[in-house]
Amino acid sequence: MSDGADLAAVRAGITEYYTGKVKKFGATPLGVDWTCVATQQMRFVQLLRLCDFASPFSLNDLGCGYGALLSYLDWRHADCAVDYLGVDLSQAMLTRARRLWRDRSNVSFAHGHASPRLADYSIASGIFNVQLDQPRDLWERFVVATLDQLHGSSRRGFSVNFMRAPPDGAPDRQGVYSTVPQRWADYCAAQFAAATEVIEGYGLREFTLIVRPSLGT
Amino acid sequence: MGARMLDDDIYIGSFLDLFNVRFAPTPFSGTAEFFGGIEEMTELQKQFEIFRAKRPFSEGAALLGLGGLYNARAKNRWRDLLENLPDNGDQKISDALAANFRKEPPLPCYMMAHDSRPKGENVVKIYEGDRPLFYLEQTYLTISLPMAPRRKHPAKKAKKKK
Repeated sequence: MSDGADLAAVRAGITEYYTGKVKKFGATPLGVDWTCVATQQMRFVQLLRLCDFASPFSLNDLGCGYGALLSYLDWRHADCAVDYLGVDLSQAMLTRARRLWRDRSNVSFAHGHASPRLADYSIASGIFNVQLDQPRDLWERFVVATLDQLHGSSRRGFSVNFMRAPPDGAPDRQGVYSTVPQRWADYCAAQFAAATEVIEGYGLREFTLIVRPSLGT
Repeated sequence: MGARMLDDDIYIGSFLDLFNVRFAPTPFSGTAEFFGGIEEMTELQKQFEIFRAKRPFSEGAALLGLGGLYNARAKNRWRDLLENLPDNGDQKISDALAANFRKEPPLPCYMMAHDSRPKGENVVKIYEGDRPLFYLEQTYLTISLPMAPRRKHPAKKAKKKK
Protein backbone atom coordinates (compact mmCIF):
# COMPACT_ATOMS: atom_id res chain seq x y z
CA MET A 1 0.00 0.00 0.00
CA SER A 2 1.11 3.57 -0.60
CA ASP A 3 1.71 5.89 2.32
CA GLY A 4 -1.53 7.71 1.53
CA ALA A 5 -3.50 4.47 1.52
CA ASP A 6 -1.85 3.37 4.77
CA LEU A 7 -2.79 6.59 6.52
CA ALA A 8 -6.30 6.43 5.10
CA ALA A 9 -6.65 2.99 6.65
CA VAL A 10 -5.41 4.33 10.00
CA ARG A 11 -7.95 7.16 9.86
CA ALA A 12 -10.71 4.74 8.93
CA GLY A 13 -9.92 2.72 12.05
CA ILE A 14 -10.00 5.87 14.19
CA THR A 15 -13.29 6.93 12.65
CA GLU A 16 -14.86 3.58 13.39
CA TYR A 17 -13.58 3.57 16.96
CA TYR A 18 -14.87 7.02 17.90
CA THR A 19 -18.12 6.63 16.02
CA GLY A 20 -18.75 3.55 18.13
CA LYS A 21 -17.93 5.48 21.30
CA VAL A 22 -20.24 8.39 20.61
CA LYS A 23 -23.08 6.12 19.54
CA LYS A 24 -22.74 4.25 22.80
CA PHE A 25 -22.16 7.10 25.24
CA GLY A 26 -23.43 10.20 23.41
CA ALA A 27 -22.04 13.71 23.81
CA THR A 28 -20.23 13.00 27.08
CA PRO A 29 -16.57 12.55 28.06
CA LEU A 30 -17.05 8.80 27.73
CA GLY A 31 -18.30 9.38 24.18
CA VAL A 32 -14.85 10.72 23.30
CA ASP A 33 -13.07 8.12 25.42
CA TRP A 34 -12.17 10.24 28.46
CA THR A 35 -12.97 9.05 31.95
CA CYS A 36 -14.74 12.17 33.21
CA VAL A 37 -15.36 15.88 32.80
CA ALA A 38 -12.58 16.81 35.22
CA THR A 39 -9.77 14.99 33.40
CA GLN A 40 -11.11 16.12 30.01
CA GLN A 41 -10.99 19.73 31.16
CA MET A 42 -7.59 19.30 32.78
CA ARG A 43 -6.28 18.53 29.29
CA PHE A 44 -7.87 21.70 27.93
CA VAL A 45 -6.17 23.69 30.69
CA GLN A 46 -2.78 22.44 29.54
CA LEU A 47 -3.38 22.67 25.79
CA LEU A 48 -4.70 26.22 26.02
CA ARG A 49 -1.52 27.43 27.71
CA LEU A 50 -0.57 27.95 24.08
CA CYS A 51 -3.05 30.78 23.60
CA ASP A 52 -2.92 34.43 24.54
CA PHE A 53 -6.41 35.23 25.79
CA ALA A 54 -5.71 38.96 26.00
CA SER A 55 -7.14 39.50 22.53
CA PRO A 56 -9.48 37.65 20.15
CA PHE A 57 -8.07 34.80 18.08
CA SER A 58 -9.06 31.96 15.79
CA LEU A 59 -8.68 28.37 16.95
CA ASN A 60 -8.77 25.04 15.16
CA ASP A 61 -9.72 22.06 17.31
CA LEU A 62 -8.57 18.91 15.52
CA GLY A 63 -10.40 15.80 16.71
CA CYS A 64 -12.99 18.07 18.28
CA GLY A 65 -15.49 15.34 19.11
CA TYR A 66 -18.76 16.92 20.19
CA GLY A 67 -17.09 20.27 20.86
CA ALA A 68 -16.49 19.88 24.60
CA LEU A 69 -13.78 22.52 24.39
CA LEU A 70 -16.49 25.14 23.80
CA SER A 71 -18.01 24.47 27.23
CA TYR A 72 -14.63 24.94 28.79
CA LEU A 73 -14.00 28.20 26.88
CA ASP A 74 -17.41 29.47 28.00
CA TRP A 75 -16.59 28.64 31.57
CA ARG A 76 -13.08 29.98 31.90
CA HIS A 77 -12.51 32.34 28.98
CA ALA A 78 -15.91 33.84 28.29
CA ASP A 79 -14.41 37.33 28.06
CA CYS A 80 -12.27 36.44 25.03
CA ALA A 81 -13.81 36.11 21.56
CA VAL A 82 -12.63 32.87 20.00
CA ASP A 83 -13.41 32.08 16.37
CA TYR A 84 -13.68 28.30 16.67
CA LEU A 85 -13.50 25.58 14.03
CA GLY A 86 -13.87 21.97 15.13
CA VAL A 87 -12.63 19.25 12.79
CA ASP A 88 -13.32 15.56 13.21
CA LEU A 89 -13.12 12.32 11.27
CA SER A 90 -16.41 10.99 12.57
CA GLN A 91 -19.62 12.27 11.00
CA ALA A 92 -21.58 10.84 13.93
CA MET A 93 -19.49 12.97 16.29
CA LEU A 94 -20.00 16.06 14.15
CA THR A 95 -23.76 15.51 14.02
CA ARG A 96 -23.84 15.74 17.81
CA ALA A 97 -21.48 18.70 17.84
CA ARG A 98 -23.58 20.66 15.38
CA ARG A 99 -26.75 19.86 17.30
CA LEU A 100 -25.19 20.89 20.59
CA TRP A 101 -23.76 24.19 19.36
CA ARG A 102 -26.22 25.14 16.64
CA ASP A 103 -27.15 28.46 18.28
CA ARG A 104 -23.62 29.52 18.95
CA SER A 105 -21.95 32.25 16.88
CA ASN A 106 -18.31 32.05 15.76
CA VAL A 107 -18.48 28.26 15.80
CA SER A 108 -18.30 25.91 12.85
CA PHE A 109 -17.41 22.31 12.24
CA ALA A 110 -15.76 20.51 9.35
CA HIS A 111 -15.40 16.87 8.45
CA GLY A 112 -11.96 15.49 7.72
CA HIS A 113 -8.49 14.83 9.03
CA ALA A 114 -7.08 18.32 8.53
CA SER A 115 -8.29 21.83 9.06
CA PRO A 116 -9.46 23.53 5.87
CA ARG A 117 -8.38 26.92 7.19
CA LEU A 118 -5.36 28.72 8.61
CA ALA A 119 -6.00 29.83 12.20
CA ASP A 120 -3.99 31.57 14.87
CA TYR A 121 -3.77 28.43 16.96
CA SER A 122 -4.59 24.74 16.72
CA ILE A 123 -5.02 22.18 19.44
CA ALA A 124 -5.61 18.43 19.38
CA SER A 125 -6.53 16.52 22.51
CA GLY A 126 -6.06 12.79 22.73
CA ILE A 127 -5.87 12.09 19.02
CA PHE A 128 -2.59 10.18 19.20
CA ASN A 129 -3.53 7.77 21.99
CA VAL A 130 -5.75 5.12 20.46
CA GLN A 131 -3.35 3.17 18.30
CA LEU A 132 -5.58 0.10 18.30
CA ASP A 133 -3.89 -2.67 16.34
CA GLN A 134 -1.81 -0.46 14.04
CA PRO A 135 1.93 -1.13 13.93
CA ARG A 136 3.90 1.47 15.86
CA ASP A 137 5.88 2.69 12.84
CA LEU A 138 2.71 3.30 10.85
CA TRP A 139 1.12 5.06 13.80
CA GLU A 140 4.15 7.31 14.08
CA ARG A 141 3.81 8.17 10.40
CA PHE A 142 0.25 9.18 11.20
CA VAL A 143 1.58 11.35 14.05
CA VAL A 144 4.12 12.96 11.73
CA ALA A 145 1.50 13.69 9.06
CA THR A 146 -0.83 15.19 11.64
CA LEU A 147 1.85 17.35 13.26
CA ASP A 148 2.84 18.62 9.81
CA GLN A 149 -0.79 19.56 9.12
CA LEU A 150 -1.16 21.27 12.47
CA HIS A 151 1.96 23.28 11.81
CA GLY A 152 0.77 24.19 8.32
CA SER A 153 -2.60 25.43 9.53
CA SER A 154 -1.46 27.44 12.58
CA ARG A 155 0.00 30.94 12.49
CA ARG A 156 0.92 31.27 16.15
CA GLY A 157 1.45 27.66 17.14
CA PHE A 158 -0.25 24.45 18.13
CA SER A 159 -0.47 22.08 21.08
CA VAL A 160 -1.06 18.35 21.37
CA ASN A 161 -0.91 15.74 24.09
CA PHE A 162 0.48 12.23 24.34
CA MET A 163 0.28 9.40 26.83
CA ARG A 164 3.52 9.16 28.79
CA ALA A 165 5.48 5.95 28.22
CA PRO A 166 5.64 3.76 31.34
CA PRO A 167 8.92 3.63 33.26
CA ASP A 168 11.57 1.32 31.82
CA GLY A 169 10.49 -2.26 31.82
CA ALA A 170 6.80 -1.65 32.50
CA PRO A 171 4.51 -2.92 29.78
CA ASP A 172 2.58 -0.47 27.63
CA ARG A 173 -1.20 -0.70 27.60
CA GLN A 174 -2.50 -2.77 24.72
CA GLY A 175 -3.67 -0.61 21.82
CA VAL A 176 -2.49 2.65 23.36
CA TYR A 177 0.34 4.72 21.94
CA SER A 178 2.64 6.18 24.54
CA THR A 179 5.95 7.92 24.13
CA VAL A 180 8.51 10.16 25.80
CA PRO A 181 8.41 13.95 25.42
CA GLN A 182 11.77 14.28 23.73
CA ARG A 183 10.68 12.17 20.77
CA TRP A 184 8.15 14.66 19.45
CA ALA A 185 9.57 17.84 20.95
CA ASP A 186 12.77 17.20 18.99
CA TYR A 187 10.83 16.42 15.82
CA CYS A 188 8.84 19.65 16.00
CA ALA A 189 11.84 21.77 16.91
CA ALA A 190 13.85 20.46 13.97
CA GLN A 191 11.11 20.09 11.37
CA PHE A 192 9.36 23.41 12.00
CA ALA A 193 12.30 25.41 13.37
CA ALA A 194 10.00 25.95 16.34
CA ALA A 195 10.24 26.61 20.04
CA THR A 196 8.80 23.72 22.00
CA GLU A 197 7.57 23.44 25.56
CA VAL A 198 6.69 20.23 27.36
CA ILE A 199 4.19 20.35 30.21
CA GLU A 200 4.02 17.45 32.65
CA GLY A 201 3.06 16.74 36.21
CA TYR A 202 -0.59 17.76 36.06
CA GLY A 203 -1.87 14.54 37.52
CA LEU A 204 -2.39 12.48 34.38
CA ARG A 205 -0.12 9.92 32.78
CA GLU A 206 0.62 12.09 29.82
CA PHE A 207 2.33 15.25 28.68
CA THR A 208 1.35 18.24 26.60
CA LEU A 209 3.59 19.54 23.84
CA ILE A 210 3.31 23.20 22.89
CA VAL A 211 4.91 24.27 19.62
CA ARG A 212 5.37 27.95 18.78
CA PRO A 213 7.18 29.62 15.92
CA SER A 214 10.72 30.47 16.92
CA LEU A 215 11.22 34.16 17.59
CA GLY A 216 13.96 34.14 14.98
CA THR A 217 11.77 32.71 12.20
CA MET B 1 -30.51 3.24 51.54
CA GLY B 2 -31.79 0.17 49.80
CA ALA B 3 -35.02 2.09 49.43
CA ARG B 4 -33.28 4.46 47.05
CA MET B 5 -31.19 1.99 45.06
CA LEU B 6 -34.00 -0.58 44.81
CA ASP B 7 -32.98 -3.39 42.44
CA ASP B 8 -29.73 -1.57 41.73
CA ASP B 9 -28.51 -2.13 45.29
CA ILE B 10 -26.30 -4.87 43.85
CA TYR B 11 -24.17 -2.14 42.24
CA ILE B 12 -23.42 -0.24 45.45
CA GLY B 13 -20.15 -2.11 45.84
CA SER B 14 -19.05 -1.15 42.35
CA PHE B 15 -19.75 2.53 43.02
CA LEU B 16 -17.68 2.35 46.18
CA ASP B 17 -14.92 0.65 44.18
CA LEU B 18 -14.92 3.42 41.59
CA PHE B 19 -14.30 5.96 44.32
CA ASN B 20 -11.69 3.77 45.99
CA VAL B 21 -9.68 3.35 42.81
CA ARG B 22 -9.74 7.03 41.87
CA PHE B 23 -8.71 8.05 45.41
CA ALA B 24 -6.29 5.17 45.98
CA PRO B 25 -2.62 5.47 46.92
CA THR B 26 -0.76 6.46 43.77
CA PRO B 27 1.20 3.65 42.12
CA PHE B 28 4.85 4.57 41.54
CA SER B 29 4.28 7.58 43.78
CA GLY B 30 7.00 10.18 43.60
CA THR B 31 8.14 9.46 40.06
CA ALA B 32 7.70 12.25 37.57
CA GLU B 33 6.36 9.94 34.91
CA PHE B 34 3.61 8.19 36.79
CA PHE B 35 0.59 9.68 38.37
CA GLY B 36 -2.88 8.42 39.13
CA GLY B 37 -4.89 7.76 42.25
CA ILE B 38 -4.79 10.41 44.96
CA GLU B 39 -2.06 12.39 43.16
CA GLU B 40 -4.30 12.74 40.10
CA MET B 41 -7.17 13.80 42.34
CA THR B 42 -4.93 16.31 44.09
CA GLU B 43 -4.04 17.97 40.79
CA LEU B 44 -7.69 18.04 39.73
CA GLN B 45 -8.66 19.57 43.06
CA LYS B 46 -5.94 22.23 42.75
CA GLN B 47 -7.10 23.15 39.28
CA PHE B 48 -10.88 22.99 39.65
CA GLU B 49 -11.59 22.98 43.41
CA ILE B 50 -14.03 20.15 42.85
CA PHE B 51 -14.72 19.71 46.57
CA ARG B 52 -15.56 22.90 48.38
CA ALA B 53 -18.08 24.64 50.60
CA LYS B 54 -21.58 24.76 49.15
CA ARG B 55 -20.80 22.09 46.57
CA PRO B 56 -21.94 18.70 47.81
CA PHE B 57 -19.97 15.56 47.17
CA SER B 58 -22.61 14.27 44.73
CA GLU B 59 -21.76 17.11 42.31
CA GLY B 60 -18.04 16.42 42.52
CA ALA B 61 -18.72 12.72 42.03
CA ALA B 62 -20.63 13.51 38.84
CA LEU B 63 -17.70 15.59 37.52
CA LEU B 64 -15.37 12.69 38.24
CA GLY B 65 -17.61 10.13 36.59
CA LEU B 66 -18.03 8.15 39.81
CA GLY B 67 -21.47 6.99 38.77
CA GLY B 68 -20.20 4.27 36.48
CA LEU B 69 -20.23 3.83 32.75
CA TYR B 70 -23.16 1.83 31.57
CA ASN B 71 -26.19 1.85 33.83
CA ALA B 72 -27.94 5.23 33.80
CA ARG B 73 -30.67 4.13 36.20
CA ALA B 74 -28.21 2.87 38.79
CA LYS B 75 -26.11 6.01 38.35
CA ASN B 76 -29.11 8.26 38.95
CA ARG B 77 -30.19 6.28 41.98
CA TRP B 78 -26.66 6.43 43.39
CA ARG B 79 -26.66 10.20 42.97
CA ASP B 80 -30.07 10.37 44.64
CA LEU B 81 -28.71 8.33 47.53
CA LEU B 82 -25.74 10.68 47.96
CA GLU B 83 -27.92 13.77 47.74
CA ASN B 84 -30.14 12.43 50.49
CA LEU B 85 -27.56 11.29 52.98
CA PRO B 86 -28.80 12.18 56.47
CA ASP B 87 -27.58 15.12 58.48
CA ASN B 88 -26.17 17.00 55.47
CA GLY B 89 -23.84 14.06 54.82
CA ASP B 90 -23.38 14.93 51.15
CA GLN B 91 -21.77 18.27 52.03
CA LYS B 92 -19.89 16.81 54.99
CA ILE B 93 -18.08 14.41 52.66
CA SER B 94 -17.17 17.27 50.35
CA ASP B 95 -15.87 19.32 53.29
CA ALA B 96 -13.80 16.40 54.57
CA LEU B 97 -12.27 15.79 51.15
CA ALA B 98 -11.51 19.49 50.70
CA ALA B 99 -9.80 19.58 54.09
CA ASN B 100 -7.83 16.46 53.21
CA PHE B 101 -6.61 18.02 49.97
CA ARG B 102 -5.30 21.01 51.89
CA LYS B 103 -2.90 18.70 53.74
CA GLU B 104 0.56 17.94 52.45
CA PRO B 105 0.39 15.23 51.32
CA PRO B 106 -3.32 14.40 51.27
CA LEU B 107 -4.29 10.95 52.48
CA PRO B 108 -5.72 8.41 50.05
CA CYS B 109 -9.44 8.04 50.66
CA TYR B 110 -11.54 4.96 51.16
CA MET B 111 -15.32 4.77 50.99
CA MET B 112 -17.33 2.02 52.64
CA ALA B 113 -20.72 1.45 54.23
CA HIS B 114 -21.97 0.65 57.73
CA ASP B 115 -25.26 -0.56 59.11
CA SER B 116 -27.45 2.44 59.78
CA ARG B 117 -30.14 0.58 61.75
CA PRO B 118 -28.71 0.73 65.30
CA LYS B 119 -29.51 3.91 67.17
CA GLY B 120 -27.17 6.78 66.32
CA GLU B 121 -25.69 5.04 63.28
CA ASN B 122 -27.71 6.79 60.59
CA VAL B 123 -24.96 9.32 59.87
CA VAL B 124 -21.97 9.62 57.54
CA LYS B 125 -18.87 8.66 59.50
CA ILE B 126 -15.48 10.08 58.67
CA TYR B 127 -12.24 8.76 60.13
CA GLU B 128 -8.90 10.40 59.51
CA GLY B 129 -5.78 8.28 59.73
CA ASP B 130 -7.78 5.08 59.59
CA ARG B 131 -6.55 1.72 58.27
CA PRO B 132 -9.68 0.22 56.74
CA LEU B 133 -7.86 -2.51 54.79
CA PHE B 134 -5.91 -4.91 56.95
CA TYR B 135 -3.96 -6.17 53.96
CA LEU B 136 -2.56 -2.71 53.11
CA GLU B 137 -0.18 -0.88 55.38
CA GLN B 138 -1.71 2.38 54.34
CA THR B 139 -3.41 5.16 56.26
CA TYR B 140 -6.56 6.59 54.73
CA LEU B 141 -9.24 9.15 55.17
CA THR B 142 -12.17 6.76 55.51
CA ILE B 143 -15.73 7.73 54.69
CA SER B 144 -18.51 5.37 55.71
CA LEU B 145 -22.02 5.77 54.35
CA PRO B 146 -25.03 4.67 56.40
CA MET B 147 -26.98 1.92 54.69
CA ALA B 148 -29.73 -0.52 55.51
CA PRO B 149 -31.43 -3.28 53.59
CA ARG B 150 -34.54 -2.52 51.63
CA ARG B 151 -37.68 -3.13 53.65
CA LYS B 152 -39.90 -5.78 52.24
CA HIS B 153 -43.43 -4.62 51.53
CA PRO B 154 -45.95 -6.37 53.78
CA ALA B 155 -47.99 -8.88 51.83
CA LYS B 156 -51.17 -7.35 50.52
CA LYS B 157 -54.27 -8.67 52.18
CA ALA B 158 -56.48 -10.61 49.89
CA LYS B 159 -59.80 -8.94 49.25
CA LYS B 160 -62.73 -10.66 50.75
CA LYS B 161 -65.13 -12.05 48.26
CA LYS B 162 -68.62 -10.85 48.73
